[in-house]
Amino acid sequence: MPDWTAEIGKRIASLNLEKAREVNIVEELAQHLEDRYQELLAGGATAEDASRETIDELNDSGLLEHEIFQIERPSPPEPAGRNKRRLGGFVRDFWSDVRYGLRMLYKAPAFTMTAVLTLALGIGANTAIFSVVDSLIFRPLPIKDPDRLTVLAFRQGDGPLLTPFSIADFRDIRNGTTQVFSGMLGYQMGIDGLSVDSKAERLVTNYVTGNYFSELGIKPRLGRLILPSEGETLGANPVIVLSYLYWQKRFGGDPRIVGREVLVNGHPVTVIGVAPQGFYGLYRFVNAQAFLPLGMVTVESVPDDYMVNRIQQNLAVLGHLKPGVDLGTAGSALNVVARRLAEDHPETNKNMSLSVYWEKYSRPDPRFGGILVKASALFVVLVALVLLLACTNVANILIVRATSREREMAIRMALGAARTRLIRQLLTESMVLAFLGGVAGLLLGLWASSASGSINLHTDLPLRLEFGFNWHVFLYAFAAVLITGISVGLWPALRASAGRISIALRESGRSVMAGKHRLRTAFVVLELAGALMLLVMAGLFIRGLNRVQQTDLGFDPENVVNMSMDPAKIGYNGAQGLAYYNDLLRRAQVLPGVDSAALISSVPMAYYNNNDYLKVSGYQNPPGQGPPLVSYSVASPGYFATMRIPLVRGRAFTDRDLNGSPYVAIVNEAFAQRFWPGQDPIGKRFAKVSGITNPTYEIVGVTRNSRFQLLTGPIDPYFYLPLAQNYSLSSEETLQIRSSLGADATVRAVEAIVHDLHPAMPVYGIATMTDSLNNLQGFLAFRFGAAAAAILGGLGLILAVVGVYGVISYSVSQRTQEIGVRVALGAQRGDILRMILRQGARIVALGTLLGLAAAFSVARLAAGLFAGVSSADPLTYSCVTVLLTVVALSACYIPARRAMSVDPMVALHQE
Amino acid sequence: MQHKNAGGIPERELKKGSAELLILSLLEARPRHGYEVSQLIELRSKGALRFRVSSLYPLLYRLEKRGWIQGRWVEKAGQRRRRYYRLTATGAEVLSSQRRGWKTFVRAINQITRVTGPENA
Repeated sequence: MPDWTAEIGKRIASLNLEKAREVNIVEELAQHLEDRYQELLAGGATAEDASRETIDELNDSGLLEHEIFQIERPSPPEPAGRNKRRLGGFVRDFWSDVRYGLRMLYKAPAFTMTAVLTLALGIGANTAIFSVVDSLIFRPLPIKDPDRLTVLAFRQGDGPLLTPFSIADFRDIRNGTTQVFSGMLGYQMGIDGLSVDSKAERLVTNYVTGNYFSELGIKPRLGRLILPSEGETLGANPVIVLSYLYWQKRFGGDPRIVGREVLVNGHPVTVIGVAPQGFYGLYRFVNAQAFLPLGMVTVESVPDDYMVNRIQQNLAVLGHLKPGVDLGTAGSALNVVARRLAEDHPETNKNMSLSVYWEKYSRPDPRFGGILVKASALFVVLVALVLLLACTNVANILIVRATSREREMAIRMALGAARTRLIRQLLTESMVLAFLGGVAGLLLGLWASSASGSINLHTDLPLRLEFGFNWHVFLYAFAAVLITGISVGLWPALRASAGRISIALRESGRSVMAGKHRLRTAFVVLELAGALMLLVMAGLFIRGLNRVQQTDLGFDPENVVNMSMDPAKIGYNGAQGLAYYNDLLRRAQVLPGVDSAALISSVPMAYYNNNDYLKVSGYQNPPGQGPPLVSYSVASPGYFATMRIPLVRGRAFTDRDLNGSPYVAIVNEAFAQRFWPGQDPIGKRFAKVSGITNPTYEIVGVTRNSRFQLLTGPIDPYFYLPLAQNYSLSSEETLQIRSSLGADATVRAVEAIVHDLHPAMPVYGIATMTDSLNNLQGFLAFRFGAAAAAILGGLGLILAVVGVYGVISYSVSQRTQEIGVRVALGAQRGDILRMILRQGARIVALGTLLGLAAAFSVARLAAGLFAGVSSADPLTYSCVTVLLTVVALSACYIPARRAMSVDPMVALHQE
Repeated sequence: MQHKNAGGIPERELKKGSAELLILSLLEARPRHGYEVSQLIELRSKGALRFRVSSLYPLLYRLEKRGWIQGRWVEKAGQRRRRYYRLTATGAEVLSSQRRGWKTFVRAINQITRVTGPENA
C-alpha cells in the first residue's frame, strides 16, 4: 500500500504552511485516500489499479497546492515570509497562465500564425533598424571616457565648416583651452604603401599626436604604443604601431613583429607594437590599419614647414571635456583662442570661429551636420510606426477573439474568478504572443542586419560597417516585446473582463460588439494614416534615388574599368614612376578591344581626393574669408577622351606638357564661373598656396562640369593637372580603360602587363566605373535609404490592408442578417456592393486625410534626406494616395462580394 | 490535466460555484466528513458529478475559512479519528439564499428554453 502521507506531504511541503496545519491537512487527506483505496479494493480492483486510481485523485496539475495556498495564506500583512510566499503563488499562477495561453494559441493555429508573423515583422524590422542606428550612433568608441569626447571644427567668416586643422593651430588651441579640456589630441588620415620582403600593400594609416594613445587610454596588445614625446619633430621617430586586424591579416599574428623594420612608402620604420583588438582609430567608418607619429608624415612628401605652416590643414582634432564642462562653456573658451589666433595670424586665421560637438552625435564628422542622427531618428520613427501598425492589427484580432470569449469570461466571473485574475490571464496570453513574435522577430532582425552589414561597398578600403547584435539591441527588442504584449492585450483584456455578465449571458453579443466595432474602425483609420505616412517616406526616398540616378554625371561611366597602383609604394622615384606609367599606358592602349586608356589620381566619387588652397590671379577673396579650397586630380593626356568629358574651351593635355615646359591646368566650368565670371579663362593663372614647390598654372582648357565628389547639390570648382608635371602631388594613379572587351578580360590583360613591368607592383581598387559609383559616397547611401524606406512602406501597406480587410470582413459577417433583409426587401446586388464599399471608402478617406497631414509634417522635419526632392513633392503624395486608396478598396471588395452573395433565406434563419 | 466541459470552461471554475451549494446542502442534515461528502455527491448525481481530493478539500477549507461550515476532529472507538464538518448559522443563511437564487435561475432557464425551443425547431 502506498504511503499516502508521503504523497500528500510531498505536494504541499513547498507551501511552508504552519506545521500543525500541515499535519492536519496531511492526515485528513491521507484518511480520504485510504478510504478510497479500500473501497476500490473492495470493488474488486487489483492493488496496483487501486493504488494508481487513488493517487490520480491528487494529480490535477498543481490544483491542490495552488488552492490550498490561496486559502491558507495568512491574511494580515506582517509576517516576513509572506512576500516570498505571495511571490511563489504569483509565479505559480503565472506559469499556469502561460500554459493555458499556449494551449489556447495552439488551439487556434491560424490566428496564432497570423499574429506571431505580424508581430515578428514589426519587431524584426525594429531590431534590424535599431542595430544599425545603435552601431552608428549609440555604440561608444572603445576608449577612455567616450562620453566626454568632442570633435572640433572651425569656420572662417561665412565659409564652410571645416574639420582639418593645421598643426600649429592645434597646438595653440590645445594650450589655450586647458581650463575646459582635460586633453586634446589630433590625427591625420593617410593612405600609404607598406612593404615587407619587397611586397607592397596599400593601407590606411593614422598619423597621430604623441598623446593620442595615452589620452584615449589605449593599452598595447603587444610591444608599446606611440609616446607623448614622439611625433613633434618632422621625420624624427621612424616607428609604426599596427592595428590588431592588420597584424593578424598581414603578419598572421606573429609576436616577433615587434622590432622588425618595414618600409612605408619606401621609408624604413620600426614596428614597435600592436594596438588592442577593437581599437581602429577615431573615424567611425574607416579602420585605421597602422599608426605613426605625426612627424612621420614626411613619408608622404610634405614641405619642410609642415609642422608650423598654418595653411597645412590636415589634422582632425578631438578633445576630452573636463567633467562638468558643457559644450557651451567649451565653445566660449575655444572662441577666445580663435579671436587671438585671428589677431595674431590674420593672413591665415582671419575671422576664425571654433565650434565643438559631441563625437557620437557628429559621426562621421561635424561637416555632415548630424545627418546620421537625423536619418536615424527618421528611420526609428518609421519603424516604430510599423510596429504600431502590427500591434494594431493584432489588437484588432484579439478584440474579435475577446468577443467570442466574452461568455467564457462572464461565466468564469460568475463562478467567482476575480477580474484582476482574468485580466492577468489575458495579458499573459498576449505576452506569450508578443514573446513568440519577439523571438521570430529577433531572428528576422539578426538576418536583416547581417545582410545589410555585408552589402558590397565597392571599395577595398577597410570600411567599418558591422551591425552586430549586442545587449543594446536585445534590450531594445525586449522593450518592444513588453510594450507590444501590453498594448495588444490590455484593451481587449479590459473589455473582455468588463463584467457585463448579464449582457453577455442574455444577448447574442451583437450589442456588445457595436462599440467595439467603432473602436476597431478607429484603429484601422489610424493604421491607414500610418501606412500612408510610411509610403510617403518611401516615395520621397525613391524619388530622391531616382533623381540622383538621373543626374547628369558629366562623364560616361559605362565600359570603363578602374585599376589603382602606386610606384612609390615599391620605392620608385619620380622619374622611374613616370617611366613606369608611360610604359603601362603605351601597352594598355594597344590591347585588343581597348578604346582608350588614361591615368587619374582620383576617380569620381572616390572616398578621398586632393585639394588645396588657391591664390587666383584677379580674384579677391570675399571679406573675412581665407583663400578658396579647391579639389583637383592629376591626369594623363587622353583622360578627358577616355571619360568622355567634353572640352568646352581650349585644349586637353598632350604629351608635350612635360616637366620643364610651362605649367598648365584645365579647369571645369564651375571654376571659371566662380573666379572669372563672364570672362574667358584661357590664359588666366592661379597657384596653390601650400606645397613644396608652388608653380603658377596657366589655364589651357575648360571642361564641362562633371560630378566628382557629390551626386547632389551644386558642382564645385575643380581642376586637373598633367601627370608628367605633377607626379610628386600624386604618385598613386588609377588606370581607367574604356574597352569593349568586358571587365574581366580587360583586368586580366592589364594585370599581365603590370606584372610584366614589375612583379611586386600591387594593384588594387579593381572595379568597373559603374560599380565604384555605387559606393557610400555615390549611389549606395541613396539606394540603402530607398530600399529600407520601401521595405517599411511595403510592410505598412500590407499591415493596413490586412486591417481594412479584417474590419470590413467582420462587419459584413455581423451585418449578414441586415443584408438579407435588404435583399429580401428588394435591394439589388449592386446596392449591397456600393453600401459595403461606401463603408470602406469612408474609412480609407479618413485614414488618408489624417495620413497626409502626418506625412507632411514629418517629411518637413526630414527634408534634406531626399536628394533635393521637396518634402511636399506633389507627385509622391498623389501617387501614394492613389496606391493606398486602390489597394485598400480592393481589400474591401472581397468582403463586399461576399455580402453581395448573401442568400436572404439563409441569412434570416441564422438567429 | 485540466478537464473541460463542452463550452471550453475549465471544470474547476464551474464546480467552484455550484459545488458550494452542493456541499452546504449535504451538511444541512448533519455533520459529515470529507470522504462521505464526496461519496454522497457521486451517489446522488448517479456518477455525473465527482469531486477529487484536489478540488474537494480546498473547497471545504475555503467554506470553513468563510465561516459557513466548521470542521472538528472526532474520535470514535476502534476507528481512526476523522474530521467532521457541520453547517454554521451563517452557512445556513447562505444556503437558503443560494437556494433561492438557484431556483430563480432554473426557472429563468426553463422559461427561455420553453419560449425559444419551438423557434429553433
